[in-house]
Order: sequence, then C-alpha cells, then structure tokens
Amino acid sequence: MTKFKHGYEGLLIVIEGTDGSGKSTQLELLKRSLQDQSYGVMVSEWKTSRLIADVIDDAKDRNLLNATTYSLLYAADFADRLENQIIPALKSGFVVLLDRYYYTALARDVVRGQNIEWVKNLYDYAPEPDLVFYLDMPVDVLLKRIIGTTGLDFYESGRDVGFSTDFYNSFEIYQNKCLEQYEKMKKRYGFISIDGTKTISEIHKIMSGEVQKILDTGVLD
Amino acid sequence: MAKLTEKHNYEGTLVCVEGIDGSGKSTQLSLLRDWLKANGKDVIYTEWNSSPLISQTTKLAKKKNMLSPRTFSLLHAVDFADRLKQVIAPALKAGFIVLADRYAFTAFARDVARGVDPKWVRQVYDFAIRPDLTIYFDIDPKTSMERICFNRTPKFYEAGMDLKLSNDPFESYLIFQTRVINEYKKMLEEFDIVKLDANDSIHSKQVEIRKMLTKILEAKGVEL
Repeated sequence: MTKFKHGYEGLLIVIEGTDGSGKSTQLELLKRSLQDQSYGVMVSEWKTSRLIADVIDDAKDRNLLNATTYSLLYAADFADRLENQIIPALKSGFVVLLDRYYYTALARDVVRGQNIEWVKNLYDYAPEPDLVFYLDMPVDVLLKRIIGTTGLDFYESGRDVGFSTDFYNSFEIYQNKCLEQYEKMKKRYGFISIDGTKTISEIHKIMSGEVQKILDTGVLD
Repeated sequence: MAKLTEKHNYEGTLVCVEGIDGSGKSTQLSLLRDWLKANGKDVIYTEWNSSPLISQTTKLAKKKNMLSPRTFSLLHAVDFADRLKQVIAPALKAGFIVLADRYAFTAFARDVARGVDPKWVRQVYDFAIRPDLTIYFDIDPKTSMERICFNRTPKFYEAGMDLKLSNDPFESYLIFQTRVINEYKKMLEEFDIVKLDANDSIHSKQVEIRKMLTKILEAKGVEL
C-alpha cells in the first residue's frame, strides 16, 4: 500500500544545515529514540558511498576538482547511495534518517556558480522526504564552533571558489552564501526550521515531536 | 540544451567520432591525427573514460558489476567534465584541433539504451561544447561483434548484461548494441552528425573525412 508521497512503505527524514550546525548529534539522538520504540532505522550520511567517497576525498586533497566535476561527483555518490541503500530501505519499511540531502548540493553548487536548473536536474529523481529539519545557525556561531573543533577546511571555507585567500574571510563569505541558498529553499521545500543555538535536548524534543506526529497516525504499524 | 546546439566561438576545431565498438572509428581518428601533424597542425587527442580523476574508479566498479545505470551515467559525466574543462576547452581556446574518440553522444546512446531518461542525460551534459564535425560510423551489431569478439566473450557492460536481456553474453550484446545504434540514429539530425558506412574501405572513409575537415578549416581561414 502506498502511504507517502514518495510511494514507499518507509519514512524518509532529512536533517539539513551547514557544517557545524549539530546535524550528526541530532541524527544520533533521533536514531536512538526511534530504535527504543522498536522501529527499524537506517542512517545514511552525505558522501559515504563506498564507490565514490574516496575519490572525492582524494581529489579534494590533490585539488583536482572544478565546479562541474565537484557537482557531478557528489551527484554520483548520491545516486549510488540512493539506489543501493536508501530506496531498498524505504521499500522494506525502514525509517531512513539522512544527514544532508540534495538541498546541500543545491546550496553548495549554486554558490560555486552552477546554474540551479542544471543542479536540480541532477537530482530530479530523488524521492521527496516526509520531513526536512533545518538547523538554522548564524555564521558567527558556526565559525566559533568549527574553529573550536575540526578547524577550517579548504572546501568548507569555499577556498576553491576564490572569494578570498584568507581562510577566515573566505569561510565567512562562503557560509553566508550557503545560508542565503538555504534561506531560499526553506519555504520552497517546506523545511521545518529550528534555531540551532537552542540546547541539544531542546532541539531533539522539537524533532522527535514532529516525527511522533507522523508515527501516531499509524503509518508504520 | 544550450551549448551542445550552439556554435562555439573558440579559435580551435573540435572533431568527434562516434559509433559502437568495432566500427573503425579509432583507426580513422589516428590516421587523421597523423595527417594533421604531418601538416604541422597543433593536434590533441582525447578518448572516452580516460581522465585521471575518475576513470580507474569507473573501471574498477565495472569489474565488480556494481553500477546502476544512473551512477554509471554520472561517473562517465565526471570523466567527460574533467577532460572538457582541463583538456578540450583550453586546447580549443589555444587554437588546437581537438580529436575526440567518443563524445557526449556516447553517453546519450548508451545511457538511454540502459533506460536512463534521454532528456535527463542531455541536461547533465549541458556544459559540453558543440563539435565542428561529428562522424558516426554505422555498422550492424553482428559485424561489430565478429570484429571485437573473435577471440573473447563480450564484457559485462559492453554486452549490457546489467540489463538482464539474456543470459548469453553474445545474444545480450546483439540486443543491447541494437538499442545503442537506434539511439545514435535518432541523434543524427538532432546534432547534425555525419553518417559514414563502416563497411567502406579504410581509404575511402579517410578521403571523405579529410575532405570534410578541410572544408571546415578553410571556412575558419586555416590552410592545410
């Protein structure tokens, strides 16, 4: 029986947001709370296809990517995960939790100068999620978080785009431009936007509340 | 479709050969290269699935038979984009004659034969530059198979075994390549592609190709 607009038995939930916005922490909490309620949960993160992720990392290390190959490699990674993991799991009735979805590609690729219609076409076969949470974080908070944890990375700072040769400035410009893109997508794709500066447990409460609303309708029973 | 249907403004000239395996396109391209070089022209040659960025990954994945048609398509697009941006476009800007053994049309033919949406894949390759001359070598699948598989079995993907058309690789090859050829034929008009009969002699095909290229170069003011 078709239950959702994507037509699969399972539930597709996405957490979006820029780097350092707390996505993976929330994903982990959501996963545990769903498993505690005896639901089958599958998690998939951005850029993790066994086939392509290593190529992307290696190419980034060696600075081999231009804007077009950057877009296409991520699209290939996505296609591989979608067809080999995500859709099979949805078909079997899992709750699929995704750390980033094609909205990430839309934001990043457009900031890198790609035509938005071209990027949309690359992902036009992807099923629509049932819920998209967006962790909204101001750039100054993001900067502090990232400097305090992983440090500034070349691509996360958009250094490949050539906004500035200064890491700090480049990060600020790049992340602001990404945020602008996310801002545009919020309404268009019906994101549930959550203030990312709230505490971890506050955010989790909001997310699990939204998920619970869907579960309470009995769709996965 | 923006760039693939619009004339480019580069100083150089882009020549592509297309057709299924065993159609003799590589032989013709290498004869053309030698001739152009002997005439003192700046020539570079580029072939399908050869970019250092991704071609090894694609080959490995093919060996393991782990690619879906869409992933297959996107990986080839990565390869093409890499060569286009790093090799083909700069060479055209510098006034070279670029000889491409297979071009975006290979993707349009093969991917669509695998069930990928024709509009989708054309959109993916939207950044490709329109060639000055594209030649399609027309051959029937049986002759192609006799030429390339006289001492071996067709390979998994070249036989389209991923589509489960037949358990027999030879039979699968014939069915799959017939589909590929049909896609090529649909493109002849769409992209202004010149068709040559692959069964003609090597010599007569080369004479024909040189004649066409000379005309194109003359129109650009390049003497041979």
